[in-house]
Amino acid sequence: MNNQFTFEGKQRTTLIGFIILGAICLGLSFLDNTVPYHMRFWSNFLHNTVFFTGISFISLFVLAAFTTAYGGWYVVMKRVWEAYSQFLIVGLLLMLVIIAGVWGHFHHLYHWAADGITDPNSPAYDPILAGKAGFLNKYWYTFGTIGFIGMWYFVFAVPMRRISVAEDTEGTTDFEHHERYRKFSAFFLPIAAFSSAAMIWQWVMSIDSHWYSTMFAWYSTASWFVSALALTIMTIIWLKSKGYYEQVTDEHIHDLGKLLFAFSVFWTYLWFSQFMLIWYANIGEETIYFKERVTNYPVLWYGNLVMNFVLPFLILMRNSTKRKYGTLILCCLLTFFGHWWDFFMMIKPGAKINADHAYHAAHSAGGDHGHAAHGVQGFVSGFTLPGFLEIGIFLGFLALFLYVVLGQLAKASLVPKNDPYLGESLHHHV
Amino acid sequence: MSAHKEVLYGLYDDEEIMLDAIRVANKQHLDIMDVFTPFPVHGLDPLLGLEESRLHIAGFVYGAIGTLTAFGVMTWIFTRDWPVIFGGKPYWSVPAFIPITFELTVLFASIGMVVSFYTVCGLAPGVVNPVLDDRITDDKFCIAFQTNGLSSSEIDKYSSFLKSTGASEVSSKVI
Amino acid sequence: MSAVVSKIREPLITGGKSYHDITEDLCSPTESVPNATWIFAFVASVGLLTVGLFCIFWTIWFGIGAWNLNRTIGWGWDITNFVWWIGIGHAGTLISAILLLFRQKWRTGVNRAAEAMTIFAVMCAGLFPALHTGRPWFDFFMFPYPNSRGPLWVNFNSPLLWDLFAISTYFTVSLLFWYTGLVPDFATVRDRATGLRKKIYNFLSFGWTGSAKHWQRWEYLSLVLAGLATPLVLSVHTIVSFDFATSVIPGWHTTIFPPYFVAGAVFSGFAMVLTLMIMTRKILSLEDYITIEHIESMNKVILCTGSIVGVAYLTELFVAWYSGYVYEQFAFYNRAAGIYWWSYFGMMACNVISPQIFWIKKFRRNIFITFFMSIFINIGMWFERFVIIATTLARDYLPSSWSYYYPTWVEMGIYIGTFGLFFVLFLLFTRVAPVVAIAEVKSILKTGGDQYVGKNATHAHHHAASHDHGHDSHDDHHAH
Repeated sequence: MNNQFTFEGKQRTTLIGFIILGAICLGLSFLDNTVPYHMRFWSNFLHNTVFFTGISFISLFVLAAFTTAYGGWYVVMKRVWEAYSQFLIVGLLLMLVIIAGVWGHFHHLYHWAADGITDPNSPAYDPILAGKAGFLNKYWYTFGTIGFIGMWYFVFAVPMRRISVAEDTEGTTDFEHHERYRKFSAFFLPIAAFSSAAMIWQWVMSIDSHWYSTMFAWYSTASWFVSALALTIMTIIWLKSKGYYEQVTDEHIHDLGKLLFAFSVFWTYLWFSQFMLIWYANIGEETIYFKERVTNYPVLWYGNLVMNFVLPFLILMRNSTKRKYGTLILCCLLTFFGHWWDFFMMIKPGAKINADHAYHAAHSAGGDHGHAAHGVQGFVSGFTLPGFLEIGIFLGFLALFLYVVLGQLAKASLVPKNDPYLGESLHHHV
Repeated sequence: MSAHKEVLYGLYDDEEIMLDAIRVANKQHLDIMDVFTPFPVHGLDPLLGLEESRLHIAGFVYGAIGTLTAFGVMTWIFTRDWPVIFGGKPYWSVPAFIPITFELTVLFASIGMVVSFYTVCGLAPGVVNPVLDDRITDDKFCIAFQTNGLSSSEIDKYSSFLKSTGASEVSSKVI
Repeated sequence: MSAVVSKIREPLITGGKSYHDITEDLCSPTESVPNATWIFAFVASVGLLTVGLFCIFWTIWFGIGAWNLNRTIGWGWDITNFVWWIGIGHAGTLISAILLLFRQKWRTGVNRAAEAMTIFAVMCAGLFPALHTGRPWFDFFMFPYPNSRGPLWVNFNSPLLWDLFAISTYFTVSLLFWYTGLVPDFATVRDRATGLRKKIYNFLSFGWTGSAKHWQRWEYLSLVLAGLATPLVLSVHTIVSFDFATSVIPGWHTTIFPPYFVAGAVFSGFAMVLTLMIMTRKILSLEDYITIEHIESMNKVILCTGSIVGVAYLTELFVAWYSGYVYEQFAFYNRAAGIYWWSYFGMMACNVISPQIFWIKKFRRNIFITFFMSIFINIGMWFERFVIIATTLARDYLPSSWSYYYPTWVEMGIYIGTFGLFFVLFLLFTRVAPVVAIAEVKSILKTGGDQYVGKNATHAHHHAASHDHGHDSHDDHHAH
């Protein structure tokens, strides 16, 4: 049984090819200035960085949660999630670009980062954002991003991976490695809960800088989780097709499918709660967020629900579909792309408004700046819907993610040989 | 229903012994009437060749009826029978109908399935089913054969099967 | 069938029990004459219930004016208690449904009692809105049925009506789920009984025989009901939270309410399960079935949900500041530093800060500390609802209607009465039905009994890599 993954040259070449394709598309999107300030480029960059960094983060979170809950069944494939978590450092490097942009005013992703926003004498003064300046400022953004992703990676992801790999060779029947791994897991959970919320508010929620929702962090975390599950299922099935992971049986896949189903429903629950409460109370400052999306982005809006709830719900409801690789992969593709699409919808409308506002402010000195942006708008490629460039960039980032992940997978046995729960996992029955 | 069943049964002390006995019985093509256990024994269903239950399909149908009932009734009332504007919302306020629709889906599915379960199992308050041995609900695992109209040599075959496969007691009863 | 259990797992049933021992131990409370402790507890509970009944009578006789509600404070202790009891009623279904789906075997020790507790808690909860209508004899008006009043329908857009549907559905489904689990155990009691008791238990057991086909369907039913009950249990407290969050009242209208209420409900529910089970295991001598391992697992759930609730509190607080909305900011300033500061303090201390001691394993496994903490958490969760309801309403948009709400003796009496009702029902339950699910405990004996798993296992077969997966250096227990 082959437990040692080899990252073949051909696979490397293919992935590098896709990374180059993504880079080219990213470059081309920089040239598209339909929405001013190269917003198409910057919003794409942020969107994909946040999406894949989030998947990496949530994989670590899942490992920590399952370990703390004495889970046994998943152990045989836990190396996949460990490998995912190692992408965090790349996510941090990518975020540095956005941070540089915040400092150098290269982009207008964040209205709060504009000059004079907190200065009552400036024409750009915004009293609401001035009130939020204690949190929405470039220092916090920089410190939070580097500090938190750095902590996730250096304090948790790297040591946990190291312990897990060391267990393969040094593991004893005292399960000393496992106990240490468990301690890291338990500490990671509360820290991750706070820090991820703080970061998702800064990275994504603050694009619509006036808007706020207490649910937002949990909602987007659920979105990450479903994406990570979908990608995991696809990776494992791919590895199986290459002759690895014979130990991962239909029983494991079935359970992953159940999780995909359950958390798609959970995501929908959070989606509904957030939307319904804001719709019901109908407070202008809050409803504007959804009003903008339902009116100007109807395909994104309804597509989101169809891809992430209706179809996976109907397909995965039956037990048999969770065991048929074909239908399961179809669902994984749907939800993986669907949650990428969800983040697209979280980021793009606000980013476009920010760019339009800044442009109006700069070209009509004062006055009623940018209210036209809230009216019904025409089709703008890369904003109203993902264009070809967006798909190319998505594939590029995905290839980068997989390149890192497969590189990590090749570094250790696919099966954690000495994990105390391995026996249970190998004999797992639904 | 036949008025009387003559039953020959053996009691086993452990589910593993009983499962092994059933494997032997399957090999010898013995026709087991039923198996009684104090708790659901894993791996018993495939050995006895029990078909998968279709209870969940029934549950889906009941649930769907609940969904349609709830959503249909609310739609009819608020758009046809007595339209009232609440909180400036449209008559047909889909998000506001979701919670009740969900609840009735679950309610219909649950009640429907539970009623179906007791009906198909023939269980109900006041039903008195014959009990082969009082210890079956305690710690005995029972394999039962129906022996109506069988010759004594055939009955002997069954009882020697039960004894040889480790049954701690073998008896017969008319139920 | 064999099941592999990791050597690292602790046993869930101690004392080297056989199947017959399990039957003996778990059936005996229904077969013996109650002891003095039980009788004393029962009489005391009936006393509390009497107080409650008197206060309910008083409320109905004199009207809702017997409570200290006024125009702005339309909800006081009544709805606080309602939400508190409903929250407690969440643990049962969570334990039996969600933990069943997640295959947490330790649930078998406590699920039966927790489900019973759920049902009784929901009954206590339902009492409050029913009385709060003022004319409880017209409560059936809340259900939509063709009537002679127009036909004037109920408002399907109102979260209060959603609540009615949610709670009645939850009660019904929990009852069905619980009773279906009880049927085989009633049969066990029946087969040990004689005479009239045998007849009664046969009636209760619906004529259960333990046939293989019945068990198969029974397992299917349990699984599908668990699948249905899981979103249901989330929906109930979600809809309770909608009662508040659909409004435009600062401090109530916040999108995090649904998951935060659910986490809080699970938190308080587990606390109440611990309070009850620590007493029950002692009085009925069930220490071998509800072990320290069970208690530790529940304490972990408490730590987890308590921390989720803590994250939600701080999220709310932070976003109130972040929103830049003065009324929202005032609402939270008022909670922390206003007239009811003590209840906010109590909530934070009991719910967020004190459960953090469960990070330490020694405390998680200490029965005395656990018992103390479980009561602490129940108080804290009561404060949480009081903070949300009374603090907010006492400081409305309009300062001229500000007032200070405190309950009358009637309101207090009804609350005390619900404790009476709850404990009367629970005490009766411990005499009539097996408190621990007999069949389910038997089904995990070979993967959870201390003669099969754990350090002192005697029956463990040495597992010599019957499957080839490379380096199987740990010998797992292969329980047969």
